[in-house]
Amino acid sequence: MSCECTEKISQLIDGELPEIEARTMQRHLNECSECQQAREDFLSFRSQIANYIPAISPIVQAEGLARIVGRQDRIAPGITSGKPRFAWNFSFGMAAFATMFVLAALVGFIVYKATQNNTTAPAQVAKTNPVPASEPSPKPSPSDAGTRQKDRQAPPNKPAQPKSSTPSIPRRTPRDSENFAANRIKPGSNINSVNESVRAADMQALTALHLEKSELLLRAFRNIRTGETESAEIAYERKQAQQLIVRNMMLRREADNSGDVQVASLLENLEPILLDIANLPDDAAPDDIRVINERVERKNIVALLQVNSTVLARAMDDD
Amino acid sequence: MASEDDEFTMLFQDFYPSLCRFLECLLGGRAALAQDLAQESFLQLHRTAWGTLPVNEARFWLYRVARNFALNEFRKSNTRYRLFDRVVEVMRPRTRNPEEEYEARERQEIVLKMLARLPEDQRVALLLREQQQLSYREIGQVLNISESKVKIDIFRARTALRETWSKKARAFSANAGSQSTLEM
Repeated sequence: MSCECTEKISQLIDGELPEIEARTMQRHLNECSECQQAREDFLSFRSQIANYIPAISPIVQAEGLARIVGRQDRIAPGITSGKPRFAWNFSFGMAAFATMFVLAALVGFIVYKATQNNTTAPAQVAKTNPVPASEPSPKPSPSDAGTRQKDRQAPPNKPAQPKSSTPSIPRRTPRDSENFAANRIKPGSNINSVNESVRAADMQALTALHLEKSELLLRAFRNIRTGETESAEIAYERKQAQQLIVRNMMLRREADNSGDVQVASLLENLEPILLDIANLPDDAAPDDIRVINERVERKNIVALLQVNSTVLARAMDDD
Repeated sequence: MASEDDEFTMLFQDFYPSLCRFLECLLGGRAALAQDLAQESFLQLHRTAWGTLPVNEARFWLYRVARNFALNEFRKSNTRYRLFDRVVEVMRPRTRNPEEEYEARERQEIVLKMLARLPEDQRVALLLREQQQLSYREIGQVLNISESKVKIDIFRARTALRETWSKKARAFSANAGSQSTLEM
């Protein structure tokens, strides 16, 4: 086999030969069986490589685009603006809204605790009423976060006191913010370490929310009623599972990176169950549903999800 | 601005699938990782270079960045992502005929394994040529190498694939022959 000719064949099928050389090679091909075989092989590989079908999830694609351009209305193309804005359903928009509330409450609590620690003036606290935010907080949930946020912003039942004497809560000033930032940033570190700690808090909140949603899905799946022979309509649960798989993968990778073995292990156990639910047809057979529920029971996943989401939520409060 | 976002969205819709296909073949079939890296590439484009590049240049920029992300992944441990391969089975398009589906999957597995045996630079050049139909000049632009290097890499990749394929064919024939001997 002539290497020079085979290399020219490679360029010929790519259209990279000058016209005169291409005609010469075409004539050579008519006479050389080895080069004919080489051409066939090259074109066969081209066909296999070019026809490779990637495994693309439309949901992942849409969510990726939404994340990049930062617009929630891109997540579900095709959904018209006729959708009621305040429809109470378990949509991505509601989950994002709830996540924002939880994060805002968390950040507000951290800032408040930091200002309490950094106050250098003599402590001037109301003698009659305790500061509401210092009370132990309940487990944060999307429905509670907004209420808690309002409570912190409007301390109730405070006796009126003249402003010139002893204010009950130190008022935050721009200098307080600088002090807060300065004290949060340890000597020798930089703004990146602050960003890292905020990012860690974000991931904790997201993980807690994800575990809660997964728990709700598995409970709903467990409660699906089927006859002995008739199939069950599970389109909603399938869709939820598809959305949760993507988040599960992301959070599991984050847990791996941060060394959180417990959460990573839980997410690893949860993932195949979500995959199985996502993979069911819309009208699933009773046996298929039962098999998945049996596996959930065997692994005690629902209880583990509940415990871990509670633990994470308490850890965020303690922070 | 709405119009810039719309243009970016169109670019994303046009090139995201082919970028995923490129990355999936480059990464040996790791579909979830390929989608992650594809999204990271678009994210980088949106944050740093969008608005400063013509659309054609943006496409080359994407492939260059995606390839660099893939190179970084090669340096990390492969075992962490073994469970992501499960997603490949879930996300693959399903055909109605199980036999066809099985054969198509087998073919794709073979393609991935053969590509995985190639050196990375040959694999990238071949994928850009066969999947994206880029010219040698364009491939050189994406990978920041000369046209002659592109030409040589593609030829060597194809030659290597031929050798691998003929070895497998000989091994298969040898197995079939020994089995038939045993049966006799």
